[in-house]
Amino acid sequence: MDANWVVLGVALLAWGLLFFYLLRLDGRLKDLEKR
Amino acid sequence: MIAKVLLFLWIAAALAAGFLWAPLVPGLGATTRVLYFHIPAAWITVVALGWSMVHSVLYLRSRRLEHDDHAAAAAELGLLFCVVATVSGAMWAKAVWHSYWNWDPRETSIFFLLLIYAAYLALRSSIENDERRARLSAVYSAIAFVTVPFLIFVVPRIYFSLHPDTIINPSGKIEMDPRIRLGFFAMLIGFTGLFAWILRLKVRLVRIERRTAERATA
Repeated sequence: MDANWVVLGVALLAWGLLFFYLLRLDGRLKDLEKR
Repeated sequence: MIAKVLLFLWIAAALAAGFLWAPLVPGLGATTRVLYFHIPAAWITVVALGWSMVHSVLYLRSRRLEHDDHAAAAAELGLLFCVVATVSGAMWAKAVWHSYWNWDPRETSIFFLLLIYAAYLALRSSIENDERRARLSAVYSAIAFVTVPFLIFVVPRIYFSLHPDTIINPSGKIEMDPRIRLGFFAMLIGFTGLFAWILRLKVRLVRIERRTAERATA
């Protein structure tokens, strides 16, 4: 497999994980702000 | 929510463009890809530390703790992105110069910047009283930022450097392949959006913590 695709895949996976972590954190903060 | 999804798609598309569409710089080969992370991280370092300085000055004028929240959060993020720029730069240096660290003017400058802002966080963590911490760290941040343009923009241009040319070269032009330039600026915008989002989260978190502490003492 082309190394370019592998590195891009890892970069997209890392970005996806960070994005969903931040999204969950955002939701959690919204809950805390309502209390 | 739409803005966040757009940010996700924007950075994903910029990454794909950088890896699959933009060509490699002759002589740099696959290490060209570092450009899409390293320079945006360095850019955000400057933006974040500048944001911290602006809010430090605003705090000193108004004495409102909201400004201190912004100043502290931005300085922490500035330090984080500075570490990203340093690590990605060191990895690039290993591939191209065969050594992670060479005390190049840019490496030396970023090392001092890390020390200066690590000291800012150490100062904040050593003071318990909110008002006193905000006042002293605002003065420190406002003065510390004077070193940022000097270390990032002036020192590397004065001394001989192994580092590739700056994005805007001495003749005031951006000499980059148009596809690399598009991918690079897209990542620059994406990183700026990501910084704005994380900064907002951090500031909200600090406010919740303060409110919780106030309720506990009331």
